[in-house]
Amino acid sequence: MRARPRQVTLERTALLAILVVWLLPVLWLVTTAYKPPREIFSSPPTFAFTPTLFNFQRIFEMFDVWALLKSSLIISLGTTVLSLLFGVPAGYALARAKWRYAIAVAYFFLAIRTVPIIATLIPFYLMMRDIGLLGTWWAVVLINTTLNCAFVTWMMFSYFRALPRDMEEAALTDGCTLWGAFYRVALPMVVPGIIASALFCIMFSWNDFLTPMFLTGPDTKPLSVALLAAFGTKDITWGTLGALAHFSTVPIVLMALFLNRYFVQGLTRGVQ
Amino acid sequence: MTITSAGSIASPRRQSSSLRFSDRRKLFLLCLALPAIVYVVLVAVWPLAQGIWYSFFDYNLLRGGGRRTFAGFDNYVALWTDATARRAVVNTFIFTFAAVALEFLVGLGLALLLWRDGRFNRICLAFLLIPVTITPIVVGLIFRALLAVDYGFLGYFLAEWGISGPRGFLANTSTALPVIILIDVWEWTPLVALILLAGLKSLPTDILEAAAADGATAWQRFRMVVLPLLLPTVFLALVLRVMDAFRVFDIIFVTTGGGPADATTSLMLYGVKQGLEFFNIGFASAIGNLAILCIALMCAVFTLLIRRADVRANER
Repeated sequence: MRARPRQVTLERTALLAILVVWLLPVLWLVTTAYKPPREIFSSPPTFAFTPTLFNFQRIFEMFDVWALLKSSLIISLGTTVLSLLFGVPAGYALARAKWRYAIAVAYFFLAIRTVPIIATLIPFYLMMRDIGLLGTWWAVVLINTTLNCAFVTWMMFSYFRALPRDMEEAALTDGCTLWGAFYRVALPMVVPGIIASALFCIMFSWNDFLTPMFLTGPDTKPLSVALLAAFGTKDITWGTLGALAHFSTVPIVLMALFLNRYFVQGLTRGVQ
Repeated sequence: MTITSAGSIASPRRQSSSLRFSDRRKLFLLCLALPAIVYVVLVAVWPLAQGIWYSFFDYNLLRGGGRRTFAGFDNYVALWTDATARRAVVNTFIFTFAAVALEFLVGLGLALLLWRDGRFNRICLAFLLIPVTITPIVVGLIFRALLAVDYGFLGYFLAEWGISGPRGFLANTSTALPVIILIDVWEWTPLVALILLAGLKSLPTDILEAAAADGATAWQRFRMVVLPLLLPTVFLALVLRVMDAFRVFDIIFVTTGGGPADATTSLMLYGVKQGLEFFNIGFASAIGNLAILCIALMCAVFTLLIRRADVRANER
């Protein structure tokens, strides 16, 4: 399509305006964290304020922020590693199998991803209670890995299927082992897919709230759960909450911005 | 295919194997796929089956020592007679369809605006995706704070100017659900825009150029060429969002907790409340199964629509 310069300028102005309005709530969250408590609760609300790090000091006094971060990290990295270990080989196998029902199995994984978590969470909760894993990181990692590994399998299935078989066949003819054809020939070609899948697993499990809320204990709860628990206590203000929310949102937002190419690939590929 | 010839090539490892190469390959692929399949069956399918089993029992951990007594379809009948459960079903459908419809309309507009290739649009898109990456709990908290009547930036003025009533939109039974729908629209429209944009960018350029050369207006091009070709992508975006929106939990839990007076209770929220707060396992399982059934039905309908759209797109 040929573009007239005036139309382009018009489009860009519209886009920029939409973007600014759309991101105002985020801007509000970020700025609240730097406001002194008195000014947050000023009525009517004011826009001007003197920035302070007071809220950040407060949350370090009130919460063991490092422990919360550690929990979130363990849960999301554990889930991601397990999901990739299960999902990547499975995706490859389903893409390469000449078995008629391989696609049906791939769809089965896709279906697992759409299951509402409530349907599995209650029996899983009882299961974890019976084997004594309730309140541990394992419980969250195990249940999150089902959804995420189903997602990774489906996504890698689509990546491997788009990859021509010739290279692997050539390697096999040259005496390469089956494992070598997978690990040394096919795998390096889908690294973008693996990064995209990993980004997704990290994001899903870092942002997850429902499963850790019921499956972790006081010592193992991640940031997302602490955020809401904090909200119930009297001492909490929007400022301290904004400060705590920094820790829960900034890592993922930065990851999505800097690895945007992979992030976008994951979002669009996961549905096709 | 070189499989059979590859199998006969002299290589020490292959000669030692008594299996044919194609069989060894099948076995190898099976070994790669099996861990994931076994895992998903054990940790997802098995609990699902248990959930179906539990739903036919009167099973409450806090009552009768947690004993299970067979109850037939009682739990499912209760879904029909329980006012909150009915409200939850209605709310979930209203939420899903209203949110996804709005996300589609706004998302399509954004995708068309972003269609032109270029650095500016790419950067805009990257920033536009921020809401998608933010923890849903935090999204809920942001809007709860913004809509607070005493000091929230939106809530204060809305109440002051008499638009929202003195207790705010979230405390009003008729406006709470629409507000939550708008929060979901804020969070997920960028994703819909992104998927539609990917679809737009994969459209065959020669057809678009031919339409432009024929003197078709922008609206005609959109209506007669772009939209029909985009239809498969549209359905994919819709099906993805419908599945996710139907499972809404976090933002409702944070903003209203299902209130006021069940006006925003969703199926997921009610299921979690029944199952993990009241430990009414049998009834909660029935709620979960109903949710699965609804999702499966909607999936089937969408698959049918996608097939048709695909056929039509190929006919053109």
